[in-house]
Amino acid sequence: MNWIVLLPPLIAAVLITLVLHPYKKISVFTSILACTISLGGALALFFSSSNEGLSSFVWAAVPGLKITIGAMGDHLAVLMLLVVTGVGLLIHIFSYGYMEQDPSLSRFYAKLSLFMFSMLGIVLADNLVMMFIFWELVGLSSYLLIGFWFQKPSAAEAAKKAFIVNRIGDFGFLLGILGTWAIFGSIHFTELKEIVATSGVPAGFSSGIVALVAFGLFMGCMGKSAQVPLHVWLPDAMEGPTPVSALIHAATMVAAGVYMLCRVFFILELSVSALDVIMWIGAITSIFAALIALQQNDIKRILAYSTLSQLGYMVMAVGIGATTEAMFHLTTHAFFKALLFLAAGSVIHGLHHEQDIWKMGNLKKYMPVTFWTFLIGTAALTGFPFLSGFFSKESILFAAYHQNIVVFSIGIFTALLTAFYMTRLVVVAFFGKERTHEVHHAHESPLVMTVPLIVLAILSLFGGVIGIDHYIGEHKVAHEAGGFYFVMGLSITCFLAGTAGALFIYLKAKAEPFSLPLLRDKFYSDEIYEACLVKPQQVLAKALSWFDYWVVGGVFVRLTSISAAGAGEILRLLQGGSLQAYVVMFILGVALLCYWFLVRVAL
Amino acid sequence: MNWLTEITLNHYLALSGILFMIGMAGVMIRRSILVIYMCLELMLNAANLALVAFNRFSPAARDYDGQIMVFFIITVAAAEVAVGLALIVSLYRLRQTTNVNDLNSLKF
Amino acid sequence: MNFLNYLPLAMVVFPVLACLAIALGAPVRKTALATVVLNLALVLVVACFIPHTQGYHFVTSFPCISLPNFFEINLTLGVDGLSLAMILLTAVVSVAAVAVSPLNVRREAEFYICVLLISCGAMGAFLSLDLFFLYVFHEVALIPTFLLIGIWGGQDRKFAATQMTIYLAAGSLILLVGILGFYFALPEGARSMDLRVIHEILSSGRIPVVMQNIIYPLLIMGFGILISLFPFHHWAPAGYAAAPAPAAMLHAGVLKKFGLYGLLRLVVPYLPEGAQTFGNILLILLLVNILYIGLVTVAQKELNLMLGFSSVMHMGYIFLGLASGTPIGLTGAVILMVSHGLSAALLFGLASVIREKTGTTLLKDMGGLAIKAPMLAFLFITGALASMGTPGLGNFAGEVLIFFGAWKVHPWTTFFAIWGIVISAVYYLRAVRSIFFGELKTYPTEVKDFKGLAETWPYVLLVGMLVAIGIYPAWLIKWIEPSINLITNL
Repeated sequence: MNWIVLLPPLIAAVLITLVLHPYKKISVFTSILACTISLGGALALFFSSSNEGLSSFVWAAVPGLKITIGAMGDHLAVLMLLVVTGVGLLIHIFSYGYMEQDPSLSRFYAKLSLFMFSMLGIVLADNLVMMFIFWELVGLSSYLLIGFWFQKPSAAEAAKKAFIVNRIGDFGFLLGILGTWAIFGSIHFTELKEIVATSGVPAGFSSGIVALVAFGLFMGCMGKSAQVPLHVWLPDAMEGPTPVSALIHAATMVAAGVYMLCRVFFILELSVSALDVIMWIGAITSIFAALIALQQNDIKRILAYSTLSQLGYMVMAVGIGATTEAMFHLTTHAFFKALLFLAAGSVIHGLHHEQDIWKMGNLKKYMPVTFWTFLIGTAALTGFPFLSGFFSKESILFAAYHQNIVVFSIGIFTALLTAFYMTRLVVVAFFGKERTHEVHHAHESPLVMTVPLIVLAILSLFGGVIGIDHYIGEHKVAHEAGGFYFVMGLSITCFLAGTAGALFIYLKAKAEPFSLPLLRDKFYSDEIYEACLVKPQQVLAKALSWFDYWVVGGVFVRLTSISAAGAGEILRLLQGGSLQAYVVMFILGVALLCYWFLVRVAL
Repeated sequence: MNWLTEITLNHYLALSGILFMIGMAGVMIRRSILVIYMCLELMLNAANLALVAFNRFSPAARDYDGQIMVFFIITVAAAEVAVGLALIVSLYRLRQTTNVNDLNSLKF
Repeated sequence: MNFLNYLPLAMVVFPVLACLAIALGAPVRKTALATVVLNLALVLVVACFIPHTQGYHFVTSFPCISLPNFFEINLTLGVDGLSLAMILLTAVVSVAAVAVSPLNVRREAEFYICVLLISCGAMGAFLSLDLFFLYVFHEVALIPTFLLIGIWGGQDRKFAATQMTIYLAAGSLILLVGILGFYFALPEGARSMDLRVIHEILSSGRIPVVMQNIIYPLLIMGFGILISLFPFHHWAPAGYAAAPAPAAMLHAGVLKKFGLYGLLRLVVPYLPEGAQTFGNILLILLLVNILYIGLVTVAQKELNLMLGFSSVMHMGYIFLGLASGTPIGLTGAVILMVSHGLSAALLFGLASVIREKTGTTLLKDMGGLAIKAPMLAFLFITGALASMGTPGLGNFAGEVLIFFGAWKVHPWTTFFAIWGIVISAVYYLRAVRSIFFGELKTYPTEVKDFKGLAETWPYVLLVGMLVAIGIYPAWLIKWIEPSINLITNL
């Protein structure tokens, strides 16, 4: 059963790469078909609602370690499968409209299918190593897709950066996996869960070690879900094609970190301090990214920072212990953020790759479907009452309210900022007057692009009330607990305040009225990285290379050869060519030997 | 004056040693390659003498091991002389000299 | 089944016969290619019929030197799972190396004879059950390597060839002393050069600790020089940078693994106390191999030097697996030996193609090649990804198992070693970025891609093997498991 979900995208990717790539339409069709089959498989899993029919095979078995490629069929996995394949399918379809003109369309779809395969692998993973395998593969496909337009130096750099930063996260993740294995003796989730439930942490492992292991696992999430300080790659990843940004860098892959945290929550739970770290990093990320988003002008970058901020929310929720809320928000976020990115893609497509919002304006007149769907997405994201985002965000804030009032305040303030920057984006891009001449030539996108938008818009509208949260599990805090209406009122107030503020400021603005360099330049995080990590490592590498060349290679190797040559130079003086000199030396030698053997040894 | 009347192994060995030393000194000192060559033969013969003497005075020796060895050496020396003299002749033809001081081109 | 016993011998003899045939005037390239393909087929036959049990199979023995009660040397050839993995590597890389050998090289016959001899030597070394021949076959392979680099090499070839040869000869000599020491440390009267007999002797008794403490450093140093363990690594990058593609492929891919193979055969099972005494030094050295060499690799400006340093760096991981001594770590080490051989061969082969196409080895002078040569880019990126340890390709399986195996024994070393995966990502991605991505630079001649499978098949073969190991390493593990058990259960 699980193979029907997992394998079709892989087969599609291989087929397209090896055979089908000259035939664009067939490649596209194959890829979409594969995604559809996966969606069908996921639906079948959803309705069968049991672990029956899941099979696994042994990938590597050595005494003491058995790594399998299997599958989990619990609600967590099935929900995530549905999100990935459902949103994925819509984006596959959308991409055809968006990328039709690209000469490398087949390559694009092959990579997209490879991504789907890897992502589904993460979701299905029934053990940590399998998860790590697909974790890395997702990083790889993300690298390939960000660098899809590899001729562009910026895209090539962004791809490289994404991979390396993710590798740093994976470094921690792998350590976490090894630590888990060393402590509990297993890598399989079900076994681990059992061990933790029955015996807890075995004796001999201090809480510090457990915290370190949990933090290692969280580091994987930090890389993939772009949490501070490993967030630097995500905004740059917007160099990839927009559907990729929608699928990978908004809806699914970056959410994999959160998914993984929910998966291993029973381990994280063992360490309060680790959970605190997770909570704080999530909170910091959410407000940090929201602040940066205030001053960005590139439509995709605004959305990217918004994604960061929302991921921060989810991670924060996990840190609070509210995994249901985190997954709920993950799901609704997948809907509306994919919608926003696709709508942004539609705008970019209609404007011939113009991404600066200050060069747009009054797009609602030219692109009505895009406008309305974008508006719905924005409303859902900013917490417009009773849309999907409202419910999920509400539940996180409510859980935070009961856990930690400071974190709750950060969350509320972030909600305010979110409403502000998203309204700014909508107002500047879609309202007002046309700011450049090109806008007059904007056109609505074809059906193949607008239909996915409409479907996602419907999901964003109603995603909050179809019972996703109940499907995953219990809410951390029941609604009956105190303060429910206080929190809801506060967040609606924040929404109204943010929206109204942005409307007031930007509705009539011709250009950006504020200039906050600190925010515009992303708190200088790229520069800080450059100065603190990249440069020192380069200098160190240069220095070591110099050392290797001159000291190891120069002093050791050359010195040895020079001393050998020098010794030869001296000894050749003895070889004068005089026969009788040789004879004398020879006889002296014999005499010495005779002395040694006959006299010394005899004594 | 016992050592004058009775000839023992030591007499032979002394003679052999003296011959050997003469040969060695000749090899070291003389400049003519032909003389060096003759001195070499002298050293060989010193060894031969020692072998024969050892064989003669060894209480255990009932056979003629030493003598056989000497025949070997004489045979090989004869062959060596043939080769060596031929070399010397051709060397002389090439360089017009038999002085080893002038034959020092084989060096590093 | 009887004829199977002669297959190991055939694998060693065929290349020699092919050399003779070429010397006598047979069509050079065709003969060479036919021979290595035949060898690959023979290896596959062995792989099909080998039983998954402990010990050596298909053993044949020919007495060579026999001094009763003192010294006995037999040409004994045989296969177990471990050597099967290694000869499979040898056969595959040999096919690829012969196939990518240049078509119109000067002194063609001699070139191909050298390539075949390396293959033959490596094959023999992995098949020998006799310590003496184990050593000798490796030496046999070193001579043609020297010639290939010295005669057909690129820049600085004479220095590189001489340096490499002196290093390796020194290493071999130390190794010889170590092997002799090992031999004489065996109980008197039962001494043997035969690995099977040695195993039998040492599974009941131990080599005295005093002797172990002498032999262990000798063997580690001897093998270490052959494997380019820090601080004896300096020959490798320069040698590989100068070597013609087949020589680099065969040496970095196959011959270098001989040292590791030797460690696995002699040091890991039979010198545990020696390992205890000197283990920490080895751990430090292998960390230096990973982190220090890794950073040195980052700073390289030339593609070939970078690849050379990278292959030195990855030896550190295999050392880590060997140092762990656990079944998991050892299995991982063997998988990584095979996979690294394949990926190194792939990358060195492609690097010479890139050099030909662009006319430069400097990374900064390249760029945008993927636009003109997508197939080349695909293959090279696959190789780079394999080397970085991306899942789905063999190296990942090896590295993960090594980390698991080493984690419980040496957690701190493993901790730092894992940072190496970040470093290798940095330099490989940087290389890929500057060779293939970005705008197309101007080159002396127009860059053309491979012309279909006819030109790419040697590389596709290597990639295929990497994928086969990466997707499903269990088949390889099944082969080597009995041998590893034999080692760890001692």
